[in-house]
Amino acid sequence: MSELTLIIGGNAGQGLESSGAGFCKALNRGGLHVFSVQDNRSRIRGGHNFYLIKTSTEPIVSWTEPVHLLIALTAETVDIHLGKIVPGGAVVYDPSLEIDEDRIKDREAIPIPLPLYDIAGEAGGSKMMANTAALGAVAGLTNFPIKHLLSVIEDNFRKKGDKVININKKVAESAHDHAASKFGDSFKFNMEQQNGAQRMVMNGNEAISLGALVAGCNFVSAYPMTPGSSIFEWLNKHADEYGIVSKQAEDEIAAVCMSVGAAHVGARALVPTSGGGFSLMVEALGLAGMLEEPIVIVLAQRPGPSTSLATRTEQADLLYAINASQGEFPRIVIAPGTIEECYECGGRALNLAEKYQTPVILMTDQFLATSNRTLDKNNIDLGAIKIDRGALLTDDDLDKIDGEYKRYKFTENGISPRALPGHQNAIFKTTSDEHNELGEIVEAADNRIRMNTKRMKKLETALADMNPPKTHGLEDADITFVCWGSTLAPLTEAMNRLNNETSNTANIIQFIDLFPMPVEKVMPVLKNRKRLITVEGNYTAQLGSLLQMTTGVKIEEHILKFDGRPFSPEYILEHLKKLEKRGRNG
Amino acid sequence: MLDYNKYLRQQKFPLIWCAGCGDGIVLKSMLRAIDKIGLSKDEICMVSGIGCSSRLTGYVDFNTLHTTHGRAIAFATGVKMAKPEMHVIVVTGDGDATAIGGNHYIHAARRNIDISVILFNNNIYGMTGGQVSPTTPIGSRASTAPFGNPENSFNISGLAEAAGASFVARGTVHDALILDKYIEKAIRKKGFSVVEVMTPCPTAYGRRNRIGDGVAMIKDLKEHSVSVRKASKMSEEELNDKVVTGILVDRERPEYTDNYNKLIERVKGSNS
Repeated sequence: MSELTLIIGGNAGQGLESSGAGFCKALNRGGLHVFSVQDNRSRIRGGHNFYLIKTSTEPIVSWTEPVHLLIALTAETVDIHLGKIVPGGAVVYDPSLEIDEDRIKDREAIPIPLPLYDIAGEAGGSKMMANTAALGAVAGLTNFPIKHLLSVIEDNFRKKGDKVININKKVAESAHDHAASKFGDSFKFNMEQQNGAQRMVMNGNEAISLGALVAGCNFVSAYPMTPGSSIFEWLNKHADEYGIVSKQAEDEIAAVCMSVGAAHVGARALVPTSGGGFSLMVEALGLAGMLEEPIVIVLAQRPGPSTSLATRTEQADLLYAINASQGEFPRIVIAPGTIEECYECGGRALNLAEKYQTPVILMTDQFLATSNRTLDKNNIDLGAIKIDRGALLTDDDLDKIDGEYKRYKFTENGISPRALPGHQNAIFKTTSDEHNELGEIVEAADNRIRMNTKRMKKLETALADMNPPKTHGLEDADITFVCWGSTLAPLTEAMNRLNNETSNTANIIQFIDLFPMPVEKVMPVLKNRKRLITVEGNYTAQLGSLLQMTTGVKIEEHILKFDGRPFSPEYILEHLKKLEKRGRNG
Repeated sequence: MLDYNKYLRQQKFPLIWCAGCGDGIVLKSMLRAIDKIGLSKDEICMVSGIGCSSRLTGYVDFNTLHTTHGRAIAFATGVKMAKPEMHVIVVTGDGDATAIGGNHYIHAARRNIDISVILFNNNIYGMTGGQVSPTTPIGSRASTAPFGNPENSFNISGLAEAAGASFVARGTVHDALILDKYIEKAIRKKGFSVVEVMTPCPTAYGRRNRIGDGVAMIKDLKEHSVSVRKASKMSEEELNDKVVTGILVDRERPEYTDNYNKLIERVKGSNS
């Protein structure tokens, strides 16, 4: 097995995100696996940004911190990342940056000054194409076939015409030849082409969008907010092909209200947002609960409160998502941890919303939303998602209705057969006030008790669809990590390393279904563990609190992170050591 | 020539704005206007929301309040009510002030509270990557309007006028020195004042709509702007793709903090 981590770093506005994503595609076309991390500052221009790609001949569990190849488009990139370079690694930079070579050599790494701007210029390109030159150079240094990079250039610049394509190709080829001939021998880490299964590259937001699309999502309304926006943009881009109504609203209040309205008349509606936008949606979330409308909110988390670190990652909205709103109503909260689970949950959320006629909140975070990973093509099963519209009455059903249609009929399981407006036998009322079975405002105490109980009963009914947490690793271990969401990938790598050192050291319990918590299914998984540690991207160990609240199991140890950056396996292992040190000292 | 440095927090430089962005032109124009009036830095409270233009408050050495998306005018109203002697200036954008913050914008104009709003209109959400805004022209492309924007756009200045603002002017970054005068008048005016500044966003709007870089966009602005006087003689059809510039409203109306003070006096008087 050979693996390599490269970082391309520079200023915002230097096209790092598109270069990075493009190179992931190129590596995939060369039969290699990738796992990327996108790190942006919240600014349109200037400020250090980087794109990290880990690539390997074998499937990759997680990104890792050590860097083999650092492409520095700014001097700052070297200052920030040089400390992670491995011996034998290399730093590629334009000589105009005037990097002190000795600093690189002190780390037993190879300085590779390459005139990226001149190469771009000589090939007829602009300064902006220095990143294309850099990627060409990467291919040259690592023996990676340049043809895959060229084919991605062709695809990505197709809209801009042949001239732009040809210049970019020339820039990449020229940089490739230059790097290969001058430095190819000294850099020992290679990324040689692998032949085998066809795979694809996808990030979390794309997978959620695809899952929703397959599940019949036909209405999306949103207001711009990173990192939720790319779901909206993805569905927008395919709106013509798949008949999706897409509506950018004037704010998140309007966005969610539009989806509630669309759901009321039968749309499969989805609202992507982030914490700040979700905060504005809370009033209408309660309305959806009261009217029993099926909507899906995708809550792509970023650090809070308020604007905070707008382009970064955190997992601090869990208890908020579960509790937001005045009063009580049923809701379902799920959080995928892998790209495949993003796809499944994108579809499943729409089904759960219609089945239980209530809001579903699908939680991710910036790390999972933007991290590109290779998937085997059969990992995304387009046939696996079936559209379930729950107790939705068909026109045939409605034709047969004799007497008054009761939209909020009292039932055993709390779910009332649902008609859509527009049938003459089922003209019905709805109101945000407390109401009777007909949807008429009623203030009587006995009706309130019955109707509120009917709604809340759906939480109990939904337990049938709530899965127990997934377990990873061996059944019996000294340490059981407990996690949710994007933390799974780095945690799995950390677990593997612990077990490689000493077998049976660690395993993982991963929660996808978070609310309603299926306690009876959870208890057998949680109990009889030697040592439980939650690993979460927040300050207060919110999953720990949720588990204590719902199961009574109190987890005493936590590995937490709230600096806006994703977990790495190294961070988890380092903090595990700290926990153990603390334990020994009493 | 004005030494801009006395008003700037230079340790926060370089600015985050892209090459070709017009926001820096507006920043300098504002500083010239403030300097001309002779306000001391302590007298000014500058409030902004979220977006490219709202990052301006990080670079100026006034009392600044960088708030949440869309709410700058509401925060500013609180500042003005609690400390009416302060000059409260709001820096905001088209998305911030007229989409998510549209309600606050309308109601502040209705109250005619003495706040000066400098509204950077670049027809797009720049910071979040080029989504359609309420002032994106119909038919234009945005990341969330890949097939062209099907919606009518706002006349932001007209909105302020209709809602009751005392002073409304529209300028462009092409005519920066005229802009100084509008901003100066807006700050001096007692009442709610708006200066809508047309400013280019080459990164998120110009490129996508093939208008070109910052220079090309500023030229485009010049070609499409007509003065109020000239516009009064043009038909609606002729004005279709034009930006009407000039002082659009300048009128005397009761101002809110004044009214409130009178109310306090009256209530105190009747109680004694």
